[in-house]
Amino acid sequence: MNENKYPVIVVGSGAGGAMAAYVLTKAGHKVLMLEAGRDYDPKTETPMFKTNGEAPLMGSGNVDKDFGFYDATVDGGWSVPGEPYTTGEDSEFLWWRARMLGGRTNHWGRYSLRFSEHDFKGKSRDGLGADWPFEYHELAPWYDKTESLVGVCGTNTGLDDMPDSSEGVLQPPPKPRVPELLVAAAAKKLGIPTAPMHRAVLTRAKDDRQACFYATPCGHGCSIGAAFQTTTSLIPMAKATGNLKVVTDAMVKNVTVDDQGKVTGVTYIDKNSHEEVSLQAKVVILAASACESARIMMNSKSKHHPKGLANSSGQLGRNIMDSTGTGLGAFIPSLAGRPKYNEDGHTANHLFIPWWGHKAHANNELDFPRGYHFEISSGFKQPGSGVSSGLQGYGSSLKQQVKDKYGAFVYLSLRGEMLPNEHCYMEIDEDVKDKWGIPVAKFHWKWSKHELNQVEHGLKTAKEILETMGATINHPLPSAEKAILKGGQIIHEVGSTRMGASPKDSVTNQWGQTWDCDNLFVMDAGVFASNPHKNCTLTIMTLAMRNASWLSEQMKKGAL
Amino acid sequence: MTEKYEVKLSRRESLKWLGALSASSLIPAGVAFAVETELTKGIGHWPTLKLSPITAKGYGKDPNLIIPPKSPWPKTLTQSQLNLVATLSDILVPREGEVPSGSEVGVPDVVDEWVSAPYSRQQRDRTTILSTLLWIGDEAKLRFGKTFNELSSAEQLMIIDDIAYDKNVKNEEFAQIIPAFSRFRSLVLAAFFSSPAGMKDIGYIGNVPIMGDYPGPTKEAMVHLEQVVKKLGLTL
Repeated sequence: MNENKYPVIVVGSGAGGAMAAYVLTKAGHKVLMLEAGRDYDPKTETPMFKTNGEAPLMGSGNVDKDFGFYDATVDGGWSVPGEPYTTGEDSEFLWWRARMLGGRTNHWGRYSLRFSEHDFKGKSRDGLGADWPFEYHELAPWYDKTESLVGVCGTNTGLDDMPDSSEGVLQPPPKPRVPELLVAAAAKKLGIPTAPMHRAVLTRAKDDRQACFYATPCGHGCSIGAAFQTTTSLIPMAKATGNLKVVTDAMVKNVTVDDQGKVTGVTYIDKNSHEEVSLQAKVVILAASACESARIMMNSKSKHHPKGLANSSGQLGRNIMDSTGTGLGAFIPSLAGRPKYNEDGHTANHLFIPWWGHKAHANNELDFPRGYHFEISSGFKQPGSGVSSGLQGYGSSLKQQVKDKYGAFVYLSLRGEMLPNEHCYMEIDEDVKDKWGIPVAKFHWKWSKHELNQVEHGLKTAKEILETMGATINHPLPSAEKAILKGGQIIHEVGSTRMGASPKDSVTNQWGQTWDCDNLFVMDAGVFASNPHKNCTLTIMTLAMRNASWLSEQMKKGAL
Repeated sequence: MTEKYEVKLSRRESLKWLGALSASSLIPAGVAFAVETELTKGIGHWPTLKLSPITAKGYGKDPNLIIPPKSPWPKTLTQSQLNLVATLSDILVPREGEVPSGSEVGVPDVVDEWVSAPYSRQQRDRTTILSTLLWIGDEAKLRFGKTFNELSSAEQLMIIDDIAYDKNVKNEEFAQIIPAFSRFRSLVLAAFFSSPAGMKDIGYIGNVPIMGDYPGPTKEAMVHLEQVVKKLGLTL
């Protein structure tokens, strides 16, 4: 391999990039992976068994570590020093980045729910947003392969919102905890099902990875490899083929093209030397995250691509969607003083509430078009910087109040599907450059009535469930406008380079191959045509596996 | 209760701690503050703080998570403030048999680290908590002519009884101190319960590796749940 010319360059080492590199290197292709952040080794860097009390500020979050001291994210969060982004007037948008090998897979929630046939064909049903350019059954075998490789625990429920995996694919889920069982009992009375959450956490050992030992939050990272992250799985496995070279601290600036507009390689800034490095490649795969990949393409204008690379459709940077987010919690008196036991489990939902409203949608009974789910937060958690409110007095009686309320709070978090709208998009802010001299992204954001009506419905439903559990909720529910979290805050941003059936209204075809440049692929969540409520990472990996396999065939055939 | 509070080593055991301690026992330049206390007739008193902002750096975006920074920024409480925090910590969280008190598990160190931190949430709390400490000191002088730590336990509790209950907030004299003291109390409780002794006291028994499958609720926990479910008219 010529030092500066590679068969394939993959930009990004997270869910999409690492899966693409894994598939291609396994198939015998030489791959160079560029990562903007530093090298990272979960085996030596993960704070296993560390307590909140051992950390500064009892482990609580701040502008340096947004999700708390022990969160695995390195050099990132809602802000990255020297790498700003801007927002349009009246727009609020938060952009989470991680500058580390493995990207956001090092701290993600590991929730791994399949999209269903409904999810891929929303527009055919209600005329809104866009359909995906394939059917569920075409992706189903790839979901099986991805779940098998990644390791997902859960069960087949037969619910219409949760397509079954093939026999033997899923690992057994952990037993539910007491508060989750009480939520299930209350939801059942209201005709709402609950189900074991599907999570990319091993409950059985796999490859070099151990089974979960039910301690230490997955968001801290996982030194034993039980909670899936690319740094303990796909990247070392790809490296073992001898076909992968990884360069960290490589901030990609733009993709280069020749006189015919065909992609020739990438230019990156070496963060250590601050020097610009140009590399040539036969094929470039962008998997830098939905918004970073779109930013690179927008910063790659040329004579043939005057509106940004592969943007003849004008859809580059458009159609950005996040998940909707809100929630409601309450003190459940009947759970106060309940018998103690170890409720760490795999440190996230054992049970959750999948979307139950497909029939109600079909019957036009709802004033919002797309579904949501509830995640359940509860349990005897490790004490940290927060204590319950409404405490009175001092001494033994004060301590008793805290003890009585311990493990008696239940919080229901809504995560819902949003629709693309013309007010949610990104562009390049020509006036602002980051410290590497690269023009920054500028975001525009506005929720539509679809999301607000959904959130209003969710808050009412959460209240009903909590009250059925015996909670007293005296305060009026907040308005949806106030309750809905900001764009980007759920960290499920997708759609900036969406795929479709026609080059007129999409950036890539169903293989993530850009319509305008046959040797430029996007393999992150940018290609999503819609953003179902089910968390994007499993589908990012599944698409990357499928599309990298297709790309490999094309290269072997000599078509690329 | 006039003894000097001594910074605990148990909270973060390290030799490095000793070095940091000798530096932080001096009030760092730039964090000194002037105080004026207004004695307004009828509605009590409330200290007006003129605090120089904390200018220390945070621990950054890539701190060592395995060996957390021992003293990430200079501590700013004076020895007499630490002594007062220690006394208040032990009123809020007294020793109960084998269970240590607030000051015994190093609560004042955590409060000092908290109010000295350069982040926005802690900076807001710093004003609230320093005001609380000053108000309590002023109140002790006004009522008894002594510092709070020089008072008898009974005298101390006369003041605390007035400010530790939300029902007294209607009394204008206490309208400001009650919510401020409440924030201080929450911080003390968090610091206590996140200590090893506090975690044990509250009954947290996680953070240990389990071999094999997660066992789920105990029999006793399930019996309790079944009773709850029945009482609520639900079914599992």
